[in-house]
Amino acid sequence: MWHELLLHLGGGAFLAAVLRVTTPILLAALGALISDRAGVINIGIEGIMLAGAFAGVVGSAATGSAWLGLAGAILAGCALGAALSFAVHTLKADLVLSGIDLNLACASGTVLLLYALTGDKGMSGSLASKVLPTIDLPLLDRVPVLGAAFGHQHVLTWASLLAVPLVSVLLLRTRFGLRLRAVGENAEAAAIAGVRVARTQFAALVLSGAFGGVAGAFLSMGYVSWFTGGISAGRGFIAIAAEVMGGGMAAGAFLSALVLGAAEALATDLQGIGLPSELMQTVPYIVPVIALVLHAARRRGG
Amino acid sequence: MPGRALAATVQTLLLLVVVIGLVMLPIVLALPDPRGAVAMFLFGPLADLRHLGNIIEIATPLMFTGLAVALMFRAGMFNLGAEGSFFLGAVFATFAALRLPLPDWAMAPGAVLFGACAGALVCLIPGVLRARFGASELVSSLMLNYAALFLGLYVVNYVLRDSDAGAMLSYRLPAAARLARILPGTRVHEGVLAALGACVLGAVYLFGTRAGYEARVVGANPGFARHLGIRITVVAATVQALGGFIAAAGGAVELQGMYLRFSWQGLPGQGWNGLVVAILAGNNPLLVPPAALALAWLQVGGDLLARNYEVPAEVVGLVQALVILVATATALRRAFRPQRLWAFRSTGRERRDVA
Repeated sequence: MWHELLLHLGGGAFLAAVLRVTTPILLAALGALISDRAGVINIGIEGIMLAGAFAGVVGSAATGSAWLGLAGAILAGCALGAALSFAVHTLKADLVLSGIDLNLACASGTVLLLYALTGDKGMSGSLASKVLPTIDLPLLDRVPVLGAAFGHQHVLTWASLLAVPLVSVLLLRTRFGLRLRAVGENAEAAAIAGVRVARTQFAALVLSGAFGGVAGAFLSMGYVSWFTGGISAGRGFIAIAAEVMGGGMAAGAFLSALVLGAAEALATDLQGIGLPSELMQTVPYIVPVIALVLHAARRRGG
Repeated sequence: MPGRALAATVQTLLLLVVVIGLVMLPIVLALPDPRGAVAMFLFGPLADLRHLGNIIEIATPLMFTGLAVALMFRAGMFNLGAEGSFFLGAVFATFAALRLPLPDWAMAPGAVLFGACAGALVCLIPGVLRARFGASELVSSLMLNYAALFLGLYVVNYVLRDSDAGAMLSYRLPAAARLARILPGTRVHEGVLAALGACVLGAVYLFGTRAGYEARVVGANPGFARHLGIRITVVAATVQALGGFIAAAGGAVELQGMYLRFSWQGLPGQGWNGLVVAILAGNNPLLVPPAALALAWLQVGGDLLARNYEVPAEVVGLVQALVILVATATALRRAFRPQRLWAFRSTGRERRDVA
């Protein structure tokens, strides 16, 4: 049994599962990263994922197009990012509390809207929502391991992988990224240097919301093909952990998300060979805590 | 300054009325009988003993988690583990009642104590990790809530599960483990007295002891606390252990007071409700019971609406979210002061506030 498991873990199917599980965590972690580097970490990303998942399903069912559904998810994410900025900058509410508040609002708000639209509080099964496509690479199929790992991945999985260097370049190599980091590093100094702090943080939160929206769309239009209340299941929080572990860099967030995704995929497989599923389900939530402690201890030591 | 505290309370209440009105108005207007719906939402919970009892029943766990969050926030600890503590507290109280050889007289308090100690870990671990390694207690407590959920479900499924029951339920709690009803005609149980007592003790701790003073200083100004020679790591760990203990005791009390067996399949959300209570109470333990009762009133009103009209009870969740926003939006409070109603007399004070 263990021998087979080890073979499986080295195989392409397992790699494919890791990438699939990592996708929403990675997208949300990149969103959290952008907000964190601007000094306004987006704790509300968990709720934004919920809203994105909901908007994707409703948007694609209403328009008949999966891509318009995705656009709806991005729009919902941007709007909620802007709402968070409104709470923090205009109403001067606490950043962390507002983020938590956004999560609570989205948890009940999505169920309410689902009920208003379908008369069902449980899931969106009655809506004819669409699913975003997977990308088949026929040539890669002939290559062992890689073919199974990358040959049939979801389009948003590819998008999330592509987003890692893009976010890195945005943060480190553009004027906008420079301003954003300046604001996050020292808002007063940036303000004196002529950077508009609130406007930059607004842009960061809106962008972060867009990533959260896409992450949510993956859940309801890729992972599964429907929306249920609480579909994000704490993945937004796992993403924040991944971002913190990643030390503020896009590549770091990618590696952390991959580790956490692998933990989740492994937990699913270990359930399959008869280990108690409840205990295995704790793994994706305990690994980030351990990693956070290691990260914090190293930073303090070094 | 009791005058200013009163003004702040009045101000919060006024804002709440406005917010609840704004959310409920469009929903209620869409109903066939708007006036009846409003009356039911606002006054239905107060109409008879059974519904008044419901308010107190629902407020009981809210007082525990509200107090837990208030104490931790007062010390500047953004620990959100109350949710997981509450859940594990209930699981391990069930464990103690079913598996530990406790004599009948010690069964109920023993099970609460056991659950409280076990559940406290969900808040204590992030506290220790923060104190020892500097890891963010916010993120680790959010993670551990889910770990506590699945750990608790494991214990229920493999240790406490009644194989004769169709669903995943524990065995029935022994009668000695259940808390006594104290108000005939309702399900109000002894737990509410424990909750009120805990809030008073929490106030004594926070305002009357050296440890509580240190916790408040750490929360208000960590730099100053360090200057005074307060050991911040010790204070942080202590207050989070205390918060976890109280939240978990709340879970145990809720289970032993309201349920025949353990039947939760997911996190019950009482930790988040406790956050709302703590914010409404301004993190003051003595204001936690009225805040919990106010929130419970809203929930009973929402339940009545849900049962009699086509309005899902989730409306209350949305109202709660807005309540948090309003209660924490400092700009809104500044613009909406009740003093402004007699502005010509209070301009002097207004100026001083700004300065």
